[in-house]
Amino acid sequence: MAFFFNRGRSRQPADVARSTKESLLRVQEAPNTPKADEELAKQLGQMKVIVQGTQEISTSPDQVYALIQATLQEDLLYDLSRSIHLLPFEARKDTQTIFSHILRFRPVSYAPDKDPPVISYIVHNRPEILIELCRGYTHSQSAMPCGVILREALKFDVVTAVVLYDQSQEGQEAVRLSELKPNAPQNGDGVFWNFFEWIDKGNFEVSADAFTTFREILTRHKSLVTAYLASNFELFFGRFNTILVQSDSYVTKRQSIKLLGEILLDRANYNVMMAYVESGENLKLCMKLLRDDRKMVQYEGFHVFKVFVANPNKSVAVQRILINNRDRLLRFLPKFLEDRTDDDQFTDEKSFLVRQIEVLPKEPVDRSRPSREAQSGVNTAAVV
Amino acid sequence: MADDMASRYQVMEELGSGSFGVVYKAIDKANGEIVAIKHIDLESSEDDIAEIQQEISVLATCASAFVTQYKASFLKGHKLWIVMEYLGGGSCLDLLKPGVFNEAHVSIVCQQLLQGLDYLHTEGKIHRDVKAANVLLSNTGKVKLADFGVAAQLVNIKSQRNTFVGTPFWMAPEVIQQAGYDFKADIWSLGITAIEMINGEPPHASTHPMKVLFLIPKNPAPRLEGPEYSSTFKDFIAQCLTKDPDRRPSAKELLKHKFIRNAGKTEALQELIQRKQEWDGGRGLTKDVKYYAETLTTLNRGPMQDEDDWVFDTVKAPTMRTPSKNPSMWVPAGTDWTTLDEEESDPDPAQLMEDLHISPSPQPPQPPKHQANSTVRRTPGYERSPSIRRANTKRRSSGVKQPLGLDLSFGNSPSTVRQFRRVSDRVSSAEVSPQKNSSVFDENTSPKVVSGDSPSKEAQLGRRAYAKAIGHSCQEVLSTTGDGEKRDAISRLAEAWSDLEMVDPEGLYHIVRIMNEKFQADHRLSGLVPSSPQPDSPGRPRLVLAQNNPHLKSHRRRQSTTEPPPQSPLSNLPGQQVPGMEHTKQLSDVLYQRWAEGLRNRWGF
Repeated sequence: MAFFFNRGRSRQPADVARSTKESLLRVQEAPNTPKADEELAKQLGQMKVIVQGTQEISTSPDQVYALIQATLQEDLLYDLSRSIHLLPFEARKDTQTIFSHILRFRPVSYAPDKDPPVISYIVHNRPEILIELCRGYTHSQSAMPCGVILREALKFDVVTAVVLYDQSQEGQEAVRLSELKPNAPQNGDGVFWNFFEWIDKGNFEVSADAFTTFREILTRHKSLVTAYLASNFELFFGRFNTILVQSDSYVTKRQSIKLLGEILLDRANYNVMMAYVESGENLKLCMKLLRDDRKMVQYEGFHVFKVFVANPNKSVAVQRILINNRDRLLRFLPKFLEDRTDDDQFTDEKSFLVRQIEVLPKEPVDRSRPSREAQSGVNTAAVV
Repeated sequence: MADDMASRYQVMEELGSGSFGVVYKAIDKANGEIVAIKHIDLESSEDDIAEIQQEISVLATCASAFVTQYKASFLKGHKLWIVMEYLGGGSCLDLLKPGVFNEAHVSIVCQQLLQGLDYLHTEGKIHRDVKAANVLLSNTGKVKLADFGVAAQLVNIKSQRNTFVGTPFWMAPEVIQQAGYDFKADIWSLGITAIEMINGEPPHASTHPMKVLFLIPKNPAPRLEGPEYSSTFKDFIAQCLTKDPDRRPSAKELLKHKFIRNAGKTEALQELIQRKQEWDGGRGLTKDVKYYAETLTTLNRGPMQDEDDWVFDTVKAPTMRTPSKNPSMWVPAGTDWTTLDEEESDPDPAQLMEDLHISPSPQPPQPPKHQANSTVRRTPGYERSPSIRRANTKRRSSGVKQPLGLDLSFGNSPSTVRQFRRVSDRVSSAEVSPQKNSSVFDENTSPKVVSGDSPSKEAQLGRRAYAKAIGHSCQEVLSTTGDGEKRDAISRLAEAWSDLEMVDPEGLYHIVRIMNEKFQADHRLSGLVPSSPQPDSPGRPRLVLAQNNPHLKSHRRRQSTTEPPPQSPLSNLPGQQVPGMEHTKQLSDVLYQRWAEGLRNRWGF
């Protein structure tokens, strides 16, 4: 911290931003040069103190504001977002801190319901920053700091919208918020779709962080996500089922089954749920999970399986599978995870499912033609 | 890919079991470096996996000489391996087993810890579980903070936390009161740790952890008293243990404290490591080394996997579109289901093997409730106070599985029980598990030594026997006895002991000693007490060590190990007091569990 006391206080934020940019460019040109790295780390350290203060020194909103202005002028956030993997250890953490503070910053007089100014600036003028942050998952050095910054930004629905809908390739301009076409189906090559690969292929740290961000995108801004899932249903669940639910990684598998349950049982996603539980293939996948040899996978699988059974308007395909396996299910369910004795809700749900399976008709009934027969009158809400 | 990572390490013996995993020593084949690897079985952890990731991300963003260095983490099946730097000196709690630290040692450890805490706090991190068990030493005496199981990363350097985590004895009042706390909570825990190092145990150690949660906010802050301690040390402790967190100094400020500025070099701590090694050696303890063994389960997938497997007719295949009531549809027993579904690839037996060998046992792990009663795996001599880990059990969705929360709320219930047991063991440990008595640091027998130059050692030991063992034992048995007549008899006995202690402590000592000898002489009764001729009181081994190792004279001087040998019977006393009272221990365990449960609900952990 000595450099800070020696000369830091008197330096203007604009100077700090400019010299940070200069050192950053030098590092980009010649990565892993100790001298350049050191210089950049020093500059970033100064930026951090301006935005965050220390335990002894508090920040000055004017200084922060001036720094932000200079940072945007220099387009420093974009350069930082794509070079985090090149930075030395402490500088990566400092960058994460600087980003988080700048993204959150609101001038004193700013209306609290408006998005912070830097967020608005980014989605309208420089969405490439967000895309580059996502691409941070391609390097294990940058995955965690980029993930933290992204999740900070994804608190704002405008950011989630850009990440969901952008389809730019590397080197191309990313989509501006004003150009989004919410109902157009996705080609599956956009930055959001890369998350499947990052989760599946990355090492544990990358995969786990990418999943956390993925989950954040899919659960935070409901109306946005519901519309997105509706227009990209096949593409999304096709990849979700094959890449995530059937992943070889225990953690990816278990967490994605849980996330699947959360998505389906969210009231906002009612139509998505109904479409999902109509499919016999999805039911098969789920029933296989019940027989996985790892009990937590079985348990998470159960919470998806129950939706199929509880659905009062089962498709013919789903009915056929359940009817074909009725005796097996009735033998299987009572013994299923029976050591969960103090989990009352689980036990209740299990016996509810047993009843539903008992009262299934002998033959599948096509519900598209109205028929009162075997209508149990139970709706999914009873389980949900 | 994960398996590649795992095969990079040659896993060797078990080092101990931590808050939620077993730690092994291992060699990195790539460079021959010795590392410590923590294996966390995710199947047995109902915790959100995200919480474990949290621990990793806090660790991975630390780079300090005063914090255990994180190296890598990866999955092997459903086990998560976390690779850390290996610290051969053991934890401060281990090093306390042969006896307490002196002031000079405490000041070195505190100085190092403060640098670690200063680093963490500047980084916006709170450790939240500082205690001797979480302070590790390298072979050369370097001190490092470890176990970030409950550490928190603050987004904003000035923000506060409300979460209730830590280990009761070491918890700051503001953490218990859940009124919002910050970095200063670690400073309090450091003060308690300093007391732990000089006294062998934290304040209130003989009180039940749950009760401590009431005592810490209510009582005045603990102080170090007695002429044997320097005034700077007392002041340091008093500063750390300032109840108002705003007036409690920061790590940076404490680094300027005289007690810390005068601290010696870390190399001096090698004495402690050496003392521990010699103590282990002097006790002739054949170290029960557990080696890592990869479990292989057979290809037999259990009853669930055979004839009852699902039948999935392939809707597209016309031949299969038979009415479902047709019994021929059903798979004959034993047929593998994969043949029925064209979308399924045949399982390659080798693949199955791959999938299976990761499961630790063919039986599904027991739910936490059962685990709570089972024996917790531990290596001899390795004991740590478990931390309360708040399991963030909120299912963020529609709350479907929310009721599970009750079950999970304590996160690692086995450890909690361990903690209770540690206390209730005071009475019956000798009779229940004699060998355990000899290897486990018992809180009740404080390693503090009675000064050797007093007139009658026998009398002093007699008093001590009464204060430390007999009185407590009577009380404990009394509290678990319901019958009025029996209670009466016990309290009369207690009074008689008390009288004897006042009138003739020396006689008391001799009664106890002879009683113990008679027990050992009788082949049936000898089971009550350790049959080994090795004395087993924690105070005693120091003497053994001194005899065997003349070069440890300085230690002997410091700790005035001039007390006479016959201290050994004392630790066996409780066993003699209450033969056949094993059930009271069980009973009190159950009662405590129930009480804790009530508290837990009320506190909404």
